[in-house]
Amino acid sequence: MKFLFILFYFTLFLYSQNIDNCLNCHTNTTPIDSYHPYKEFGCASCHGGDKKATIKEKAHKNIVLNPSRLEHASMFCGKCHQDIINRVDKSIMNNMHGILDVLKYQFKETQTIEKSTGIHYLKKKPTEKQTLAEDHFSKLCAACHINQKEEIFHNTGFVKRGGGCVDCHRVEDVEKIDIQNDILKLKHPKLSTKIPSSNCLKCHNRSNRIGLSYFGQFESEGYGTPYKDGKLTHKLDKGRYYYELPADIHHTSAKMDCIDCHTEAGVMGDGKHHAHMEDAVDISCKDCHSPNFQPTEQFGLAGMLTALNGDIPYSKKIAVTKKKNSPIYNLQKNDTNTTFYRKKDGKAFDISKMSDAPYHNSKNHERLDCTACHSSWIPSCYGCHEVYFKDRKQYDWIKHKQTKGKWMELRSYLRYESPALAIGYNEKIMPTAPGCQVIATIYDKDVKNDEFHSMAFAAWDPHTTQKHSRSCIDCHFNPQTLGLGAGILDIKDNNITFNPHYQSKEDGLPINYPIDSLISKEGKQFQSFSREKARGFNQKEVTKIVEAYKCIICHNKWDDPIYKDFPKSKKLFYEKKTSCSKEILK
Amino acid sequence: MIKYFLILIPLSLFCNECLTCHPKKMEQCANSNHYTLKNAINITRTAWGIKDSKVTLQTLPKPNYNIKKPQDLVDDFLRRKCLKCHLTSKAINQTNNLCLACHNTHQNKIDAKKAKSTQQKCLKCHNNEFIGTDYLGLFPHDYDKAYRSPLTKDGYYPKRPYGIDFHHLSSDIHHQKGLSCVDCHKKSKNKSWESKVDCKSCHQNLTQQNHKNYHDNLSCNSCHSAWNISSYELNVLRDDTPNYKQWKRLKVQEDTYLENFLTKALKTKQKLEPKMPDYLTNKMEDGIWYSGWKFRRWENFFLINSDDGTIKIAKPMFQYRISYKDQNGKTILDDLNTIDGKKIEAFVPKEPHTITKKAKSCEMCHENKIMLDKNLINKGLFQGIILKGSPLTQKQLEKLQSEFYKNQRAKILFSQ
Repeated sequence: MKFLFILFYFTLFLYSQNIDNCLNCHTNTTPIDSYHPYKEFGCASCHGGDKKATIKEKAHKNIVLNPSRLEHASMFCGKCHQDIINRVDKSIMNNMHGILDVLKYQFKETQTIEKSTGIHYLKKKPTEKQTLAEDHFSKLCAACHINQKEEIFHNTGFVKRGGGCVDCHRVEDVEKIDIQNDILKLKHPKLSTKIPSSNCLKCHNRSNRIGLSYFGQFESEGYGTPYKDGKLTHKLDKGRYYYELPADIHHTSAKMDCIDCHTEAGVMGDGKHHAHMEDAVDISCKDCHSPNFQPTEQFGLAGMLTALNGDIPYSKKIAVTKKKNSPIYNLQKNDTNTTFYRKKDGKAFDISKMSDAPYHNSKNHERLDCTACHSSWIPSCYGCHEVYFKDRKQYDWIKHKQTKGKWMELRSYLRYESPALAIGYNEKIMPTAPGCQVIATIYDKDVKNDEFHSMAFAAWDPHTTQKHSRSCIDCHFNPQTLGLGAGILDIKDNNITFNPHYQSKEDGLPINYPIDSLISKEGKQFQSFSREKARGFNQKEVTKIVEAYKCIICHNKWDDPIYKDFPKSKKLFYEKKTSCSKEILK
Repeated sequence: MIKYFLILIPLSLFCNECLTCHPKKMEQCANSNHYTLKNAINITRTAWGIKDSKVTLQTLPKPNYNIKKPQDLVDDFLRRKCLKCHLTSKAINQTNNLCLACHNTHQNKIDAKKAKSTQQKCLKCHNNEFIGTDYLGLFPHDYDKAYRSPLTKDGYYPKRPYGIDFHHLSSDIHHQKGLSCVDCHKKSKNKSWESKVDCKSCHQNLTQQNHKNYHDNLSCNSCHSAWNISSYELNVLRDDTPNYKQWKRLKVQEDTYLENFLTKALKTKQKLEPKMPDYLTNKMEDGIWYSGWKFRRWENFFLINSDDGTIKIAKPMFQYRISYKDQNGKTILDDLNTIDGKKIEAFVPKEPHTITKKAKSCEMCHENKIMLDKNLINKGLFQGIILKGSPLTQKQLEKLQSEFYKNQRAKILFSQ
């Protein structure tokens, strides 16, 4: 730990030896942060140019305005942070290959999910050679990646994003203070490792909408209600509105930010090419609620991050993630207490440990992911009616110009209630919702010329965690939770019956099952997943879940003795050896 | 006598051709809800804070021009947003004959059957939120332009017979079997055609155990309707200023006039005056009524006691939030959702026409989250007045979760 500080100040010392002339003109420049003091570093070590020059033209030769763009970062930021730049370069937030590869699979252009380099790959591919999925990605998805050009968002109605490292690390933007004698006086952007959630939300507000859900915002049907002063309210951005639903308990109880859970390695990558976001993510519920502690001194990174934060105390023991064994330096163990520190201000919180009560230990529920019970709602967007005009033009977010091919998206309807459950990517039972139900219509010269559809669900942690879990019946006898969709679920003569509400055929949809049905009551899977291990419940599972309800109707508490050994209890019941069976099984 | 001059004579001007042969029908019609629309009018006026409202379409006061509270706006709202549908409205009846709003013409006694009303005629008014189009399995789409889906096979936007797109849900079994509205809603010797239809007049032999034993006072509909339209928070805004830009994506206001007006207003460079018709006088009046929901659902329902002694499904109408902006751009009413501390909403017992042979499962009522979860009521989701009925009593709610129920239900679940 001490060694790191010595190293740091030694580097500082080295830089301070050759101060540049930039500051002779650019007086009044505001500080960046306490770790990049330009009075010692100078300007040229980050921005290039000729630091010894005394005239503007010469000094500004080869200057870089934003050295944190990834194409420059190695040369400038990389002097100290090359390890991070290498990791970020391969990360999913930079390349977006996760979205592109899944999209191509869902548009049935690839048989399996083929790993690409995402945006890197499409940069080199001419528009006319792009597949439909690639064009869709370029026009609708590629706006969000950390190395996007920030200036293209000017006057678009969208928040600007991109710019490399500063996309996340900039907490206060650049501002012109004054121009005197052709010399710009600037407020320099402020950088920080205390990344505010608003930076994450610039991008994480679409698709599975985790960023919105966490803060209790549900992207609404678009009414902009209630009206205040005669105007629509609750606007997200262009034509998108929200209404409030219960926010995640981590937000309501401790106002935690995204970075309080999502670790350095989880966000900036671990140097490996991960196919999907869930592979890149490091944190899990149990990392904090059932933590493993290790000596802090084993993790150089932890000491550095604690020091950088400045508000979090140094502790001898910190928690580590189970997946990548990386330090969670804000969850600490002292002799008696386990304390969680909020990164933005170092405020301390007690953390509740996962109880070992029967509902967590029950063998019956061992396949459940925490999110299956503790997520209270999930944004579900049914029907993604893609419209593609071959001969019209639209802005391409990778090539940064209008190119041929225009996309438009229509919807069927939205819901948030009773999240459906399915087997997720981790083979555990998780909440699931449509993702995406593509029903595409393709036009050439405004005449329909082709169509295709690809209906899929996706399982994810919706970030709507509540302390109290869903009730037993909410899973065991709720057709929406089972994945059947809305309708009337019943048991007649020991058979499950289900009458769905939605009539896809009459609605004109090209599918012969209700749009909200992931599976049939026989466990036949109607809609696909883009993960190998993910699937809806099969017949055996549906029967088992509903079968349990027969007991739950009376025994609706988790501590009911019959659940201690449920198979045995059922056996006794059917053998008429229990008190209730004699009456019920007459 | 006064009634004769005030109502019947003006009425006779509308349908003189018919009266020659059907003189008695005139009085029957004059008292009918179809002619007076007293239910719709008085439920809305009551919800908007007018006590003991007992007016009809014919006696509805002229709109107030001095607006300070919702009570001053409600008649204008009714005239321009709701009462587009009435028997002499140009929107549904292009003739001068009031009878022809529902009936077709015929020449003599022999071809009298021709005059029978058709489902098509009923649905001209009975669409959208209420009973009517639900019989066909139709549920209204949201307003935003993104909901103009799915595209037809030829690649066009779907057709909108009533100015609204619809989801297609399971239709009423009577519709599936080919029955139209008037096959049930017909007059008989001792009943007017507006009387309630009793399911039991056709379905007499009920065999199931459930029918006999425990559910005596439950309307058939409570169990046998598959789904219903629950609408949450109807935000209405009368804006007297030409502020159209914010409605660009929300031009579908379930009103063809307004949709066309907004399309024109948003295209042209000249400022169009914000005016829309009073559907009673057919004159253009100042201001435009906009509306938008919080959300609408087909999955939710809860039960209430109806004044006719049965338990029925509650229809929310409509959890109003009212705004009014005057010509000077001054906001007179700003998102008002209570009057004297009471929510501007009413629940009325309703019987959705989405009948299925397969009844709801026991759980849909006995484990109904809305009825059992007091939090939902405390949170203000359901606080309005109940008209023509009363909430379920504590005793009734306890019965939902009684040991007796659980025992009976378990027996059904475990029966082979």
